[in-house]
Amino acid sequence: MVIATDYTTDDLICVCISRQVEDGELLAQGIATPLVAAGYLLAQRTHAPRVAFASAIGNALCQEGAPLGLARAEDLWLGRALTLISFADAACDMIPTMHPKEFFRPAQVDAYGNYNNVVIGDHQHPRLRLPGCGGIADVTAFHSRAYLYVPRHSRAVFVEEVDFVSGLGVPSPLRPGDQPGPRLLISDLGIFDYASGRMRLRSHHPGVTLEKIQKKTGFALEPAADAHQTPPPTVEEVRLLRNEIDPLGIRELERMGGGQRRRRMREIIRLEQAG
Amino acid sequence: MSKVIPMAEAARLVAPGSTLGLGGMTLYRRPVAFVRALLDIGVTDLTLISLTCGFESDLLVGAGQVRRLRTCYFGLEAFGLAPMFTQRATAGEVEVIEETEASLAFGLRATLAGVGFLPSLAWLGTDLPRVRPDVKTVQDPYSGRAYTAFPALSVDVMVIHAPVADHAGNAQVYGNLALDRELGLAADRVIITAERVVDRLSGPLELAGVGVHYVVEVPDGAWPTSCYPDYPLDGNELLDYVEACGSGQFDAYLERFLARPAGETRVARRGDLAEGKD
Repeated sequence: MVIATDYTTDDLICVCISRQVEDGELLAQGIATPLVAAGYLLAQRTHAPRVAFASAIGNALCQEGAPLGLARAEDLWLGRALTLISFADAACDMIPTMHPKEFFRPAQVDAYGNYNNVVIGDHQHPRLRLPGCGGIADVTAFHSRAYLYVPRHSRAVFVEEVDFVSGLGVPSPLRPGDQPGPRLLISDLGIFDYASGRMRLRSHHPGVTLEKIQKKTGFALEPAADAHQTPPPTVEEVRLLRNEIDPLGIRELERMGGGQRRRRMREIIRLEQAG
Repeated sequence: MSKVIPMAEAARLVAPGSTLGLGGMTLYRRPVAFVRALLDIGVTDLTLISLTCGFESDLLVGAGQVRRLRTCYFGLEAFGLAPMFTQRATAGEVEVIEETEASLAFGLRATLAGVGFLPSLAWLGTDLPRVRPDVKTVQDPYSGRAYTAFPALSVDVMVIHAPVADHAGNAQVYGNLALDRELGLAADRVIITAERVVDRLSGPLELAGVGVHYVVEVPDGAWPTSCYPDYPLDGNELLDYVEACGSGQFDAYLERFLARPAGETRVARRGDLAEGKD
């Protein structure tokens, strides 16, 4: 196993996600989360060959992964669908008791892991209306295999107090109870958990200092006693991501903003049409 | 007896102030051609209900034809925020009834089961109940445990776009079922728009014509969203839309969109790509 020296932050995030996957489990793949899709597929190609995917794109159950797509995303999943599942079947019959592992991307998250995907500001008079929380609020009180990921770690995301709680963190004075909270949070700066009752740093990514992480976090952050550097990807993991899982580089879109992202998307669409 | 009617007639079935269900999901198999017909006649005050709202709903919101929304996600996936929804909802110009997958799914199943509500583990401990005071909790009569009681949902008209339907309203869809079946069964009237209408489909099918009232034939009826397996989504058109709205040009975009002759298409079908067509 050769450690890579040539890898991007996106590659590292995918690898961190991949490392959380256990062989044989059911993975829920949401919409517009290519870093997660790539991480899942990497896990399947390496240590977790027997995972299955419940894909929101296609509303399908799949055992075979497909390379990431943009305009053709649906084709790729539906071409491998074992069974089609209506969303009512999934929401009523599967999710409440099967608890598939899932990674959510919060717009805001606080020190306890409470998170928001509904609205910035007041619900009646928002500063910014967000798309909505999908199914997060449906499982958050009891789901113990929920993870968070934040592609661009910033004070805008890591706030003292979220404006709306659609996802529950670990129990706290703000939200007492017995909810499990997120297992881990993976960002482009490090990996964090809530085992002490508050977000703490488990590992900082190579080249990232604790000072930088604290500067980009809007609340006091403690490192775990055994905090260490995130192990980098292997050469094989990077090769799989770049050559087979995501040759179009769709996983890179999550950390791009506005105009750059759209320009890159046009390029990807052109490549998809040509290929 | 054929259930096929012209698109203009189908669009007039949607009364002002009514609740309109939209089939498909985000950018997949959306009834865009039907929405175009609604934009043409300008019917107002609509409540939209859909699992997820996307491009088709954003056009209606931008055109000012929507009073309220019931959905768990309103956005354009990788293509970003839905620009007109974001603008109008932020300004408080459209009412958002906060829903989730469970509130929609259990609510529709309550309707189909003929009961007033269905209990669920969803929402407990979150801020959802705070913005939905109409949603109550209920106590399990056996265990005493508290559940959220999702109320039954009603739908006046449901429209679903399918790759193929027949004259009896049977239809085959090949994926992204979303809530098409449940919304269809719950709705008072169901319209299937289809890429093509054939004499008779044989089963097993995803959607049985028993619950379908009207059928409209409209090729490229989902464009620029996808219609698997016939055509993928038109990413460039979605980017054009987002960029137009981003520079305050929604009205100009809508004018161009509505001016496009019916049947003129930019859909790149599989065969076209292989033959090197646009």
